[in-house]
Amino acid sequence: MSATPDPITTEIVFNALQSVTDESFVALMKSAYSTNIKERHDHSTAIVDRNGRLVVQAAGSIPIHLASMLGLMQKLLAKYPVSEIHEGDIFCANDPHVGGGTHLPDVNLAMPVFSDGELVGFVCNIAHHADVGGMSPGSMAGGMTSIYQEGLRIPLIKLFRRGELDRDLFDLILLNVRVVEERRGDYNAQFAALRLAHRRLLEIVARNGRETVEAVFDGIISRTHARMKESIAAIPDGTYRFEDFMDNDGAGLDDIKIALTVTINGDDAVFDFTGTQAQVPGNVNIPLNGTIAAVCYVLKAMLDPEIPNNHGVIDAITVTAPPGTVVSCVEPASVASRAHTSQRIVDVVIGALAEALPDKVVGAANGANSMAIFAGTDPRTGRPYVYLETLGGGFGGRNDRDGKDGVQVHITNTSNLPVEAIEMEYPLLVEAYGLIEDSGGAGTWRGGLGLRRIVTPVDHDCVFTGIGERFRHQPWGVFGGQPGGTGHFSVRTREGEVRDMPTKFGDAPLREGDSAIVETPGSGGYGPPEQRPAETLGEDWESGKFSAAYMRENYGWEVPPSD
Amino acid sequence: MSWFIGVDVGGTFTDFYAVNRESAQVVIHKTPSTPHNPAEAILEGLDALATANGIPADAITRLAHGTTVATNALIQRKGAPLALITTEGFRDLLEIGRQIRPKMYDLKADAPPPLVPRKHRFEVRERMMADGTPRIALEDAAIDVAIDQVEASGAEAVAVCLLFAFLNPEHEQRIGKRLRERLPQVAVSLSSAVQPEFREFERFSTTALNAYLQPLIGRYMRHLGEELRERAPKARLGINQSSGGLMSVERAADYPVRTALSGPAAGAVGAAHVARLAGKPDVITLDMGGTSADVALIREFEAEIGFGREVAGFPVRLPIVDVDTVGAGGGSIAWFDRDGLLKVGPASAGAVPGPACYGRGGTEATVSDANLVLGRLSGALIGGAMTLDLSRATAAIQPIADRLGFSIEKTAEGILGIVTANMVRAIRTVSVERGHDPRHFVLMPFGGAGALHAGDVARALDMAEIVVPPAPGILCAQGLVVSDLKEDFVISARIPLTEAGRTEIDTAVAPLAAAAADWFASEEIAPARRRLRLAIDLRYVGQNFELLVPTDETDGSAPNLPDIDEMKRRFFSAHEKTYGHYTADDPIEAVNLRLTAIGEAERIPPPAVTGDGDQHPTPVARRAVWFDGAEHDTPVYDRAKLSPGQHFTGPAIVDQLDATTVIHPGDTVSVDAALNLIIEVSR
Repeated sequence: MSATPDPITTEIVFNALQSVTDESFVALMKSAYSTNIKERHDHSTAIVDRNGRLVVQAAGSIPIHLASMLGLMQKLLAKYPVSEIHEGDIFCANDPHVGGGTHLPDVNLAMPVFSDGELVGFVCNIAHHADVGGMSPGSMAGGMTSIYQEGLRIPLIKLFRRGELDRDLFDLILLNVRVVEERRGDYNAQFAALRLAHRRLLEIVARNGRETVEAVFDGIISRTHARMKESIAAIPDGTYRFEDFMDNDGAGLDDIKIALTVTINGDDAVFDFTGTQAQVPGNVNIPLNGTIAAVCYVLKAMLDPEIPNNHGVIDAITVTAPPGTVVSCVEPASVASRAHTSQRIVDVVIGALAEALPDKVVGAANGANSMAIFAGTDPRTGRPYVYLETLGGGFGGRNDRDGKDGVQVHITNTSNLPVEAIEMEYPLLVEAYGLIEDSGGAGTWRGGLGLRRIVTPVDHDCVFTGIGERFRHQPWGVFGGQPGGTGHFSVRTREGEVRDMPTKFGDAPLREGDSAIVETPGSGGYGPPEQRPAETLGEDWESGKFSAAYMRENYGWEVPPSD
Repeated sequence: MSWFIGVDVGGTFTDFYAVNRESAQVVIHKTPSTPHNPAEAILEGLDALATANGIPADAITRLAHGTTVATNALIQRKGAPLALITTEGFRDLLEIGRQIRPKMYDLKADAPPPLVPRKHRFEVRERMMADGTPRIALEDAAIDVAIDQVEASGAEAVAVCLLFAFLNPEHEQRIGKRLRERLPQVAVSLSSAVQPEFREFERFSTTALNAYLQPLIGRYMRHLGEELRERAPKARLGINQSSGGLMSVERAADYPVRTALSGPAAGAVGAAHVARLAGKPDVITLDMGGTSADVALIREFEAEIGFGREVAGFPVRLPIVDVDTVGAGGGSIAWFDRDGLLKVGPASAGAVPGPACYGRGGTEATVSDANLVLGRLSGALIGGAMTLDLSRATAAIQPIADRLGFSIEKTAEGILGIVTANMVRAIRTVSVERGHDPRHFVLMPFGGAGALHAGDVARALDMAEIVVPPAPGILCAQGLVVSDLKEDFVISARIPLTEAGRTEIDTAVAPLAAAAADWFASEEIAPARRRLRLAIDLRYVGQNFELLVPTDETDGSAPNLPDIDEMKRRFFSAHEKTYGHYTADDPIEAVNLRLTAIGEAERIPPPAVTGDGDQHPTPVARRAVWFDGAEHDTPVYDRAKLSPGQHFTGPAIVDQLDATTVIHPGDTVSVDAALNLIIEVSR
C-alpha cells in the first residue's frame, strides 16, 4: 500500500467516489418500480472497502441503512473467504437476525470490484421493497409477533455467481412476494445500479491506480475517524444516564423501557443500553446494528452535521446492549416497526447528552413514525385501495430558537401526499390538515407542534388502521422546558360521538359520515418558560397556535384587553 | 435602420448586446449594475450605447430585458406585506408544506418562515371536491368577513388559494372580484390564474410568491416603461421569463413570479442559439461566474424545461429552464475542512472584496488567484481596465502551500483540480437524472470563468469537444435578443389515454387554444410567426409522477394532437429514457395539458466575416502557463483578431474583453463561420 495521499488527491478522488454513490443512488431511484423508492427515496448506495468498512455513502441515504450496510458486510466476509468471492458475484440478504439487516423489506445487495485480479472493495445498495411476503400486504403491519410472519427471510446468499443470475433462487424469492412484476423491477433496478457503480469505480481505479484508490479509502476513514474523535474529546468527561418509555409494543405489552448510560473518557465514548426492556412480542424490536446507526445519527447531527458518513464514525464509538433486549434483539424477534424504536433511541441518546452538550441538544421530538392507513373498495371503480401515510409532528425546542412545527424528525424525512392527490386517487376526503394548538411544550424556546388530519370516506365504508407512539409518554423538554402534547387517534361518528382509539390498532370500521381524527405528538421545549422573551409571547398569542389558558399556565401571560 | 437590444442585469454588471437588423452589426456594452435601482444602470447604459454607436432613439425597435429584481426581492424578503385567503381547515398548509426538513442531519437548518404570517392567513367556509363540484358552497357573507380581515391586516397583496381551484376556479374568482371592488389598491393573485395545476402546496406557494412580488415589480415595470418611452419610443419591451421566452411588461407586472428564475434562462437560450449556429444539437452548458456555475442541457437545439424548482427555499411550480447550480466560481474560496482535506467553495469572495488578486482587500485564496498563479488568467481583465496582482494571489495561496508542503503552483493546480471535481460531480448527477451520458454532448462554457475551466471539465467527463461562443461573458444579453415571445397555458385534467379519452382531451385543449389565440391577438404577433406546442403530462395509472410528452409543433392556427398510439409510443420512449423501462400494457392517463404559444423572434444571421487568408493566427504575446505540473511556453491570441477558418494547437491562451479561454497541450482549435472556437480535446 502506498503512503497516505495528500489532502488534494484525497479530496479529488473522494469527490469522484461520492459521485459514484450519488449517480447510482439516482439511477436506482429512477429505475425502481416501488413508489417507496421512486418518490420517498427509501434507498441507499455505498462503497465499502475490501475489509468491509464503509467508505462512502450517498448523500441522500437514510440513517438506518448505515446499519444494514455494516451488517451485510460483516455477514459476507464471515461467510466467504476472499478466495470464494469472484468477479460478477452479487450478494443478497435481508434478514435482521442472520443476514445483517434491520427489517425484511430492506433488501441489501453487494457486488465485489476487482482490478488486476485483486479485490478493491464492494459497491452496495439497499432498497425498501413495497412487499416481501409474510402474513400482511406491505410486510409492515402491526400485530406480528415473530419474524416468520413478517415475510421471506433471506440469509446472505450469492444471487449472481460470476455474472450469472441463479434463476432458481430468484424464482424462489419472487414466488414469496406480492405484486411480483413490481418486485422483479425493483431487483432489476438494484442490479443495474450496482453495475453502474461497479463500472464507475473501475474508471476511478483506472484513472488513479488501485493503490492510490485503496490508500484514499484508508485516508478518508482515518480522517473522518480523527475528526469524530476530536468532537468526542470536546464532550466533558463523565457518565451520563437517561431512560424513556415507549407506550407499548402493539401486542399487549405496555411501557417499554429504553435505558442508556453514556461514558465519555477523553475521546472514548461508550453507549451502554444495559437496563433496557427484554425483547418484546410486538414488532418494535431492533437489531444492535440498527441501534448503532441511531447513535451515529445523533452524534453526526449534534456534533458535526457535515462529517462524511463512513466507518470512521462507527469506529469512533462503542455501543453495547445485552443480546435479547428490545435494542439488540435476537431470533425470532419481529422487527417491522423498528423505526419507532429507532426514533426513541435517538431521543434517549439526546436526553443522556443534554447535561454534557447543553448547546447542542433539543427537546424530545414526536418520537414516532406515526402511521395512518385507510383501506376499502373504491365505489367509483369497484377496485380495492390502500392509502398509507406517515405523518410528521413536533421537533423539539433548541438552545437558540423554537422547535419546528409539523415536520418529519430525525431518522425519517419523507414527504406527505398532497390533499388533492389523495382525493383524486382515493375515495377519501380530507376535512382538515393543520397544526395542533398547544401541543408544543412551553420553554425559553418552545417545542414544535404536532399535526392533525381529519379524513372521511366518500360514498362508502372503509377501515382505518393507526400505529402511533408517544400517546402516553409525552415528549419531554430539556433544562426546564415543558413536555409537548401526546398523539391521539379517534373516530368521530356520524352520530356525533367521539370515540378514542388505542395507540396501535388495525382495521377499525369507518363508515360513510364518520371521520378519523389523526393527531401526532408535539415536542418538548428548551429552557424555563419564564425566560421566554416577552415580545415572543405576544407573537405566540397572535399566531393562534396557543390558547389563552396555555399562555397563562405556562408563562403567566394574560391576553391584553382588546380596544 | 432598426436595432434589437438585449439588456441583462447581473449582480455586478449590466450587459448590453445590440444587433442591427439590416447590417447584422453587433455592438456590446457593459456598465456596473445599480442594485438599489436596477433601472438606473439600464437607462445610463442605453444612453452610453446609443451615443457611442450613433443609434437614434427611434431606431430601437425591440428591447428585451432580463431582470433579477424579483429574485433579489425574494432572497432579501423585501416583498409586500401579504395575506392569504384559503379553504376552511387548511390555514396551516402553506406552513407545513411537504412536512420535510431541508437537511436530514442538521438540527438547526430550517425551512424559511412562510411569506404569510399565520395571523394573516384567513379561512373561508367553502370546499370543492376532486371532481370540481362544490361540497360546501361559498357564501357572499363569508367573502366579506375574509376581506374585512385582509383589510384589517394591512396587507398590500393577497394570495387566494383554495383546494381544487385548478378544476373549478369559481370560488376563487368570486373572492378576487370582490377583493378588487372593495380593496382596489391591494394586489390580488389567484392560484387558478397563476398556475392552475394540481398539488396544492406547490400551487399555493407559487401563488403566494407571486402576490408577494406584485406591488414591487408592478412599480418597477411602470417606472421602467415610462423612462423607456422617452429613450426608445418605438421599442417593443419584452421581459424575460424563467421558461426562456419573453412576456409583455403588463404580464410581468401581473405574474412577476415568472421572472424569479429568469437569469439563467437567458443564458440557456443564448447557448441554444449559439449551438444552432455551430451546428451542435446536444450541448451541456457551463455558465461559470464569480460565485457559482450553472449547468443546463440542450437537446436538439432546445434547452430542457422543468416544472419544479425552489427559489429562496420556496417551491415554485412553473415552466422553468432546467438549470442546476454548483457553488463553483472564480471567487470560490479554498479552505481546509475539519478533517484536513482541502475544499473549494461554496463560500465565495464575490465581487467585493473579490479574489485576492483584485487588490480590493480580499486575502483568501480563490480560484481566480490559482488561475493567475498558473498563468492561465492574464494579468489584465476587461481590456486592461483592471489589472490583477500576482503578488497578492501568491500571498493568499502561500499559507495553503505551506501547510501542504507543496509549491505554489502545485497548490494552485490542486485548487483547480478540486473546483473541477465539484463541477464534474454536478454534471454527472444532472446527466444521470435526465437519462443522458455526458460523453455524447458538446461542452459549451460561458460566463466570465467558464472557458478557463472547460478543458479540465471536458477531460474529466471524457467529452470530446468544446464550443466557446464569440462573446462568452455576454451570452445572456445575446440570448435575450434572440428570445421568442412565449406564453404557457396549462389545465389539469385526468383523462385516460385511450381512443375514448381522445375526445375528452380535445375538449380540454379547446379553452387553452382559445386563450392562445387571444394572446396572439393581444400581443399583435404576425400569423407567420405564431407557433403552438402542445405537451401532455402522462403517467401510468396509480403512479404519482408524470412525464412531459410533447406533440409536434404547429403553426398558430391549432395545436396538434397525434393519434393515441403515437402518444403512447412517445410516452414509452420517455419512460424508458428516464426510468430505464416501460410496460406496454398498463393503462396510461393524462394529468396536465400544457399549451405553449410562441411568437417567434426574428432571426438575424451572423455577419459574414471573412478570414484574412492566413490559416494560422499570430500570437500577440507568449507567457509561461502551467499544465500537469510543468511550465509550458504558451502563445497568447487576441480573440478579436481571430477569423473564420483559422486553426491552431494547444497549449494556447485566447484573451478577449470579457473572458479567457485556456487551450490544453495537444488540443486543437478551429474558428468557425460564426466565430465560435471549436476545441477538439486530445485524449
